Amino acid sequence: MLTKCSFSNNLLAFTLTLFLTNCSGIRSQENLYEALGGEVALERIADNFILEIANDDRVIGYFEDTNVERFRQFFIEHMCMLTDGPCEYTGDTLVDTHVGMNITEAAFNAIVEDLMAAMNKADIVIGTQNRLLARMAELREQIIQM
Amino acid sequence: MINIVKRYLPTTLFLASSLLISFATHADGRIKGTGGVSSVSGAGGGGLIPWATLTSLATEEQRGLTGFATYIDLNDFTLDVLGGAVNFNDRVEISYARQNFTIKANDAEITQDKFGLKVRVAGDLLYGKMPQLALGIERNRLRDPDIARAVGAKDDNGTDLYLSAARAWIDGVFHRTSMLNINLRYSQANQYGLLGYGGDDQDIRLQVEIAAAMFLTRSIAFGAEYRQKPDNLSALQEDKAADVFVAWFPNKHISVTGAYVMLGKIAGAQQQNGFYLSIQGAL
Repeated sequence: MLTKCSFSNNLLAFTLTLFLTNCSGIRSQENLYEALGGEVALERIADNFILEIANDDRVIGYFEDTNVERFRQFFIEHMCMLTDGPCEYTGDTLVDTHVGMNITEAAFNAIVEDLMAAMNKADIVIGTQNRLLARMAELREQIIQM
Repeated sequence: MINIVKRYLPTTLFLASSLLISFATHADGRIKGTGGVSSVSGAGGGGLIPWATLTSLATEEQRGLTGFATYIDLNDFTLDVLGGAVNFNDRVEISYARQNFTIKANDAEITQDKFGLKVRVAGDLLYGKMPQLALGIERNRLRDPDIARAVGAKDDNGTDLYLSAARAWIDGVFHRTSMLNINLRYSQANQYGLLGYGGDDQDIRLQVEIAAAMFLTRSIAFGAEYRQKPDNLSALQEDKAADVFVAWFPNKHISVTGAYVMLGKIAGAQQQNGFYLSIQGAL
């Protein structure tokens, strides 16, 4: 009995330690733009992303009036800025871009899934994908249901 | 045959009616895996404990449904569970589970019904500053109260209340999406209620439950759970429960979970460890 209980407690301690050390920010932080693969990678991700959206019935309706070239340029610029790359974002604010579109929670998540697929197809490893997705998730409040 | 029909009829009816409720909806709006799996009580969660997440992948504009079957093979006992849950708009979850506990030595069975209601009161698992908070209630009733009475339990039915908080970090441990869930439970259940409620040696009624999980890929998560349990019966010691698990989400509608559970002493039998297998379907 004693062995079982101490195993449970060790498991608990180990798990908590893992989370607490992680949350206190002890981790290697290579520049995210570099980790993704720079401008070439962002262009590949953007092209894949546009194809994923075009084939996604859940979200394509939101892009009816979208100028694809413009979208591509501003998406790459925005990703570049968000990943600490050497770019300046010259587009409108996210609030201005998405206001009135009434983007639902489900549509937002569908776009996240399309981006994951786009990054998979650009051979971005999952850890790097997650670093980018975490930064994008913080922008959610500026995007959905306005 | 009649017995089998009688045993599974409520579950079947529940699943059928739930299916009708959510038939017209398309509940896959959340990211794969964020609906978790089905716990042994039927509520959305991990395995041995419910989590603050609501079952299925329904978002606020959707309704979702899950059905599951779980089998646990311990040294001296088996537990099979069948049940399901409905998620209304990622706000309210209603669940049902039928648990059949079998004592291997003499094939004696204890059957229990578990009804659950869970309400998401604040926050979100993935997004924003606030962790997802949920309040849950579990109403449990033994169909075979004889053994519970014999071991000194006060009641053959009981109600558990719990407050649950869950948070996932997209870029978590080792840059993998990681989740932590903590529950505070009020319960008088003896061995999940299978040995009744309350007893001659009433223990403290508040327990802590913790789960941690990590997505190795978008489809495979692993983790561990820990559950304090009350120890209300002077004749039979009750221990804490723990498990380590791996869950596989091949798509948004199916999950398969395997675990090794460590349930300690049960009804006088030492060291009840064993394997756990659960399959969930979601609409």
